[in-house]
Amino acid sequence: MLDAIDKDLLMAVADLEGIPKGAYNIRKNGQLLGRKVSGGINIEANEEENGIVVTIKPGVVDQSVHIPVILSQAGLHDVVYNTFIIGEDADVTIVAGCGIHCGSSRAGGHEGIHEFQVGKNAKVRYVEKHLATGEGTGKRTLNPTTKVFMEENAVAEMDLTQIGGVDEAKRLNEAELSAGSSLFITERIMTDGNQIAISHNNIILKGDDSKANIVSRSVIKENSKQDFYANVEARARSFGHIECDAIIMDNGINETVPALRALHPDAELTHEASIGKIANDQLIKLMSLGLTYDEAVEKIIRGFLK
Amino acid sequence: MLELKNIHFSVTDESSGSVDAKKTILGGINFTFEKGKFYGITGPNGSGKTTLAKAIMGINEVTSGSIRFNGKDITNMTITERAREGIAYGFQHSARFKGVTFRALLAIAAGTEDEDRLIDIIARVGICSLDFLDKPVDSKLSGGEIKKIELATTIARNPVLAIYDEPDTGIDLWTIDPMVKLIQKEQKKHERTTIVVSHNRAFLEAADTLLMIKDGKIAYVGDLKGATPMLTDLSVCGYGDICEGESNVRCYR
Repeated sequence: MLDAIDKDLLMAVADLEGIPKGAYNIRKNGQLLGRKVSGGINIEANEEENGIVVTIKPGVVDQSVHIPVILSQAGLHDVVYNTFIIGEDADVTIVAGCGIHCGSSRAGGHEGIHEFQVGKNAKVRYVEKHLATGEGTGKRTLNPTTKVFMEENAVAEMDLTQIGGVDEAKRLNEAELSAGSSLFITERIMTDGNQIAISHNNIILKGDDSKANIVSRSVIKENSKQDFYANVEARARSFGHIECDAIIMDNGINETVPALRALHPDAELTHEASIGKIANDQLIKLMSLGLTYDEAVEKIIRGFLK
Repeated sequence: MLELKNIHFSVTDESSGSVDAKKTILGGINFTFEKGKFYGITGPNGSGKTTLAKAIMGINEVTSGSIRFNGKDITNMTITERAREGIAYGFQHSARFKGVTFRALLAIAAGTEDEDRLIDIIARVGICSLDFLDKPVDSKLSGGEIKKIELATTIARNPVLAIYDEPDTGIDLWTIDPMVKLIQKEQKKHERTTIVVSHNRAFLEAADTLLMIKDGKIAYVGDLKGATPMLTDLSVCGYGDICEGESNVRCYR
């Protein structure tokens, strides 16, 4: 059953007010809490019994799958390997997310490896939110990995968000793109306190006319630290763009390293990166509209991470 | 309604090499703006026009002197406090944000998220497309678009005193007249004290009173006709003694 903490976490990481409509798989404290499959979407345990396989049949459109994970039991470190097989011409939204509630001094964590096999002409939107709450002092760790394999003309949009409270996060995003496929990754991370978040992205453009756009937005407050690494390698006539912006506040530290590698003469690769405080003219503009300094900062950050 | 008394503003003179050296930008401005009137502030580049406008909004803290607004001493008030007292400012160089939409800015300015109210405001500034509301106010906007946003957010404040710093920058020639008319209409309808910093004749003609600033001081107060000889004088090239004729690009300085 869902208790009040579970409901809060589910709301925050999956925008769910309770049990979702459509297909879902809810995992709580390392155990299956509930699962529902639909006509076009099947969910079952994998052979290794360390995760699930979500299969979306070819041609299934306008459907969603929710697979939130909640951890409220102290001292648990949950590791899963989930596979998503998206059939040809399908068009689906997958909402994942992990909420940790830590009420003690014992550490809690989740390592989720999500592998996507996106079929020809299929489109997938993947939304992943991470959040940790609770008064406990135990270290909360989230180390997500996504591996994306895209067939011809597939489209994948990935919205990856770490909202707050996570002490340590090491993220790895890997993707291989076949001809005509498009990948859009948007990563938004806010850290404060002594938190550390590191993100590695390795994208390989294998097919002609494949396209990748990677956007990273970071807000680094207090004594926290964030590092962002993105490598885009073009092995065909393809397009790649990396855009990373970091706002540093207080004593925040950031390292941003976008890297482009062209192994084909018709590759077009670009990047832009910036690190800095909130621009003064933005603050002054909002204050001239009647906001206080703190309200202006909050508004700018909320827009930046939206 | 707005009283400037002996306003001085100086900054550290970086070119002198000494940290103590000060450069005076405003050297004693005295003027009283009357309620509901339209004022044009003009003068050569670097004369202190924008500095003065920013001092009124509180963006520049004055070195000495006092500012009274509607009977209150606002000299030591923050930008936020002055905004809440009813002063609004349209920036010459608008801030650009990542992710913050025009709708969000307008809602802050108007103090409401009510769609009908926001649509009413954008219709007043001549923005017809509703899609425009959800555009991020970022570097992708054209100069003309961002100026319309600047104008809309200033008007949305429903201010007692509206200051527009070079509102025509980046606006195409055909848009300037409607903009002057709009600012004038808002001024008359709401009895809004209006200050426009501009070089543009269209704004200067619309003003009830013209202030010319030169070397950080008010050099002239009156109508455009009286200012014309001085303005003409300013448009004469000051590089006569180094001029090498049309072949030298320096004549366009």
